[in-house]
Amino acid sequence: VTEPGLLTLTEAAGAIRNRQLSSVELTKSLLARIEHWQPALKALVRIEPDEVLAAAQDADAALASGETRGPLHGVPLAHKDMYYRAGKLAECGSKVRAGWTAPGTATALQRLADAGALYLGALHMSEFAYGPTGHNAYLGAGRNAWDLERITGGSSSGSGTAVAARLTPAALGSDTGGSIRLPAHFCGTTGLKPTANRVSRANAMPLSFTLDTVGPLARTAEDCGLILKIIGGPDPLDPTTSAAPAWDQARAARPSQGLTIGVPESYYVEGLAPETAKAMDEAIAAFQALGCTIRKALLPDQTLLSAAAQVIVTVEAASYHAPWMRTRPQDYTPLTRSRLENGLAYSAVEYLEALRWRGPALEEHLIAIGDIDVILAPVSQTAAPTIAETDVRGGPGAEAVIQGMTRFMRPVNYLGLPALVVPAGRSAANLPIGLQLIGRPFGDETLVALGSAFQAKTQHHLPVPTLP
Amino acid sequence: MPDLSAERILTIAEAARIPIEPQSARRVATAVGPAVNRLTAAKLTIPFEIEPWSFMAVQQREIKR
Repeated sequence: VTEPGLLTLTEAAGAIRNRQLSSVELTKSLLARIEHWQPALKALVRIEPDEVLAAAQDADAALASGETRGPLHGVPLAHKDMYYRAGKLAECGSKVRAGWTAPGTATALQRLADAGALYLGALHMSEFAYGPTGHNAYLGAGRNAWDLERITGGSSSGSGTAVAARLTPAALGSDTGGSIRLPAHFCGTTGLKPTANRVSRANAMPLSFTLDTVGPLARTAEDCGLILKIIGGPDPLDPTTSAAPAWDQARAARPSQGLTIGVPESYYVEGLAPETAKAMDEAIAAFQALGCTIRKALLPDQTLLSAAAQVIVTVEAASYHAPWMRTRPQDYTPLTRSRLENGLAYSAVEYLEALRWRGPALEEHLIAIGDIDVILAPVSQTAAPTIAETDVRGGPGAEAVIQGMTRFMRPVNYLGLPALVVPAGRSAANLPIGLQLIGRPFGDETLVALGSAFQAKTQHHLPVPTLP
Repeated sequence: MPDLSAERILTIAEAARIPIEPQSARRVATAVGPAVNRLTAAKLTIPFEIEPWSFMAVQQREIKR
């Protein structure tokens, strides 16, 4: 193994399990990469080098005595700073939560730990996960490993850029309105927003109890599947997961031949940069070569779904934050405070209508797609814009850029669908372009199978950024 | 849903006991107006018996697929 930190999650876990690599060697490699990148990238908000090295030594000792704790034995992982660990800081990117220690541990983190993963550190995020660009006036803006002047996307800003720079083999993010998919697209990583109600949200910072989802960003679809297999499934602490099915590895490893991919004719084709359209065309050709059937998809009005999602997110976020909005509004950054105030626009009846329509809207979607397995769509119209051109303090033009950036996100959240982002091209400025594979409810495994087949035939997920 | 006015937002904020400046209420009306107008124009008709959890019933049908 040349540089352990460059291994994918699956490779690193396998190398440790087969004793080709020690947990300490992997941990030291990642810490060295963090030391190199962190001054410029600031992707981590807290690092625990002594603790993680001690845990790595313990993992190696356990393995030497014949004890294997699970499929991630001895692999250090960093996560978005919104996953609680009992007695440890979880500051959620905000002054409001500065110095706050969590009373319990997130189920997702506990399940990773039970699988043998180690805790490397906490990652940068948009304040309270409420922002699509990675701007954070409290922490400083997230910086893209491919170009430090460009956005990471948000709100899982640190997860996207840290995985891209190989500071962690994978990271948990969260997706309420695109917060896994946008950083995956802009940073050139693979990200899986799972089906709603498949992964427990217990002891994860909430933004919208209806639309929040917990999922991974990693280097490959295979790695995302490995994480989802571990963190998914029923959890008594989050009753919405009570019907969540166990991971079906046979489906996640199925051949892509015979799958039907739908390509939308409207909405998702509007305003695309030529290089994004080119990535779509090339991906369609690649999936055809893999034996998939490509078909046009006539989807219901996506603007309505997007508007309904906006009602739900803004009202639920305002509800969560109401106590602090009453008593310490000055502790929010102005951008977050203004977004929270948007939740004051709707009546209770309007909010509940948006909530009640979700079932009929999903029914309508399923009728519209028929036997289509996966929808292929762009994540965003362009590759990463600059931090300056998406800074809303810089003028009204920024809001238009952000609107274009996030246009293809919310319908997926409203319908609770799974979506996998895979790198699929590069812009003229050598910035990553990702595409989203949108599945049927609980079709996460099919996305992993299709994404893995795509990545076996393409190279877009392989380039490694270098620090200028 | 009706078009948004700053007055409406100030009224909801007062009922929620959340302080908001009049200029912020005007900004909210502008920012949120397009979503409200879109839903208003659609005149959604939701069947009488539908409740929020109907979503999970539709979603879970797909588990067996």
